[in-house]
Amino acid sequence: MNNSIVSETALEKHRLPGDLAMWFFILAELTVFAILFIGFAVAEQLNAEMFIEGKAKLHQIAGLMNTLTLITSSFFVALALNAMHTGDGKKSAKLLVVAKLVASIYIVVKLWEYLSLFEQDIDIETNTFFTLYFLITFFHLMHILLGMVILTFIAVKANKNEYNASNISGFESGASYWHMVDMLWIILFPLIYVI
Amino acid sequence: MAYGRYALDNTLPANLCDLTPMQTLYSNNKNTLSWLWLMILTIISSFIGLVINNKALLIGAVLFIVFLKGQQIIDTFMELAQAPKFWRRLLLGYVTVLPIIICLIYVL
Repeated sequence: MNNSIVSETALEKHRLPGDLAMWFFILAELTVFAILFIGFAVAEQLNAEMFIEGKAKLHQIAGLMNTLTLITSSFFVALALNAMHTGDGKKSAKLLVVAKLVASIYIVVKLWEYLSLFEQDIDIETNTFFTLYFLITFFHLMHILLGMVILTFIAVKANKNEYNASNISGFESGASYWHMVDMLWIILFPLIYVI
Repeated sequence: MAYGRYALDNTLPANLCDLTPMQTLYSNNKNTLSWLWLMILTIISSFIGLVINNKALLIGAVLFIVFLKGQQIIDTFMELAQAPKFWRRLLLGYVTVLPIIICLIYVL
């Protein structure tokens, strides 16, 4: 009896959060972005001057703000998951709403960045730097939007207390996806804005 | 039916929860510390260029910060510190190998 309790606890402790399928999806996403990041670095080495000029036209503070908002949003998602682990669905849903509100700052800043570049007659066809800039950041923005849809779905279910200790995998999968999107930006930001 | 509605509107009883209040407090504190650490590292990586003039050193420092931040997200936010080692190593490998590859592309 005691042994089974111990082994159940050990299993719980070494459990992969969320569905296995979601983790394979996350790996696939990470691979796609890794190819884009490496492609960007190689293109920069081949067109050093163009990339220096291109980076100078970007708004570094906007990039910094976006990094801080995504980290903060991820933090609220982590708190929401903890609240759900204690069975407090209402609190969890509220924290997810805060996470989405913080993430919406990212979307506003990103759109403002795009518009300010368009006003300078800079678009995806300007040169290789801006082709890659728009391709990578817009692809990431699409992931943010998908993540927000997932967070909305989770928040609605959490608010109805549809998750419990034995049925929390969907919540964990959505949260892991969101953290992955945050992690990708953490690599993207220095690569495009800082280095 | 009315009883069912009542049950849905309230939090789950303690025996259906998988974290005790103490465990939740510990986990929330850990998340808060990670968040603060990530914010500090982000600000450092944004302005490190003002302190380091050597391009290769700057790239190395910024990408090392990427690894530190990635490790925090993987272990604390994604909760992979307690997950099977294979998955933790796989994701830590990503935030280790990718910055090294990028660093080599820039430096070599």
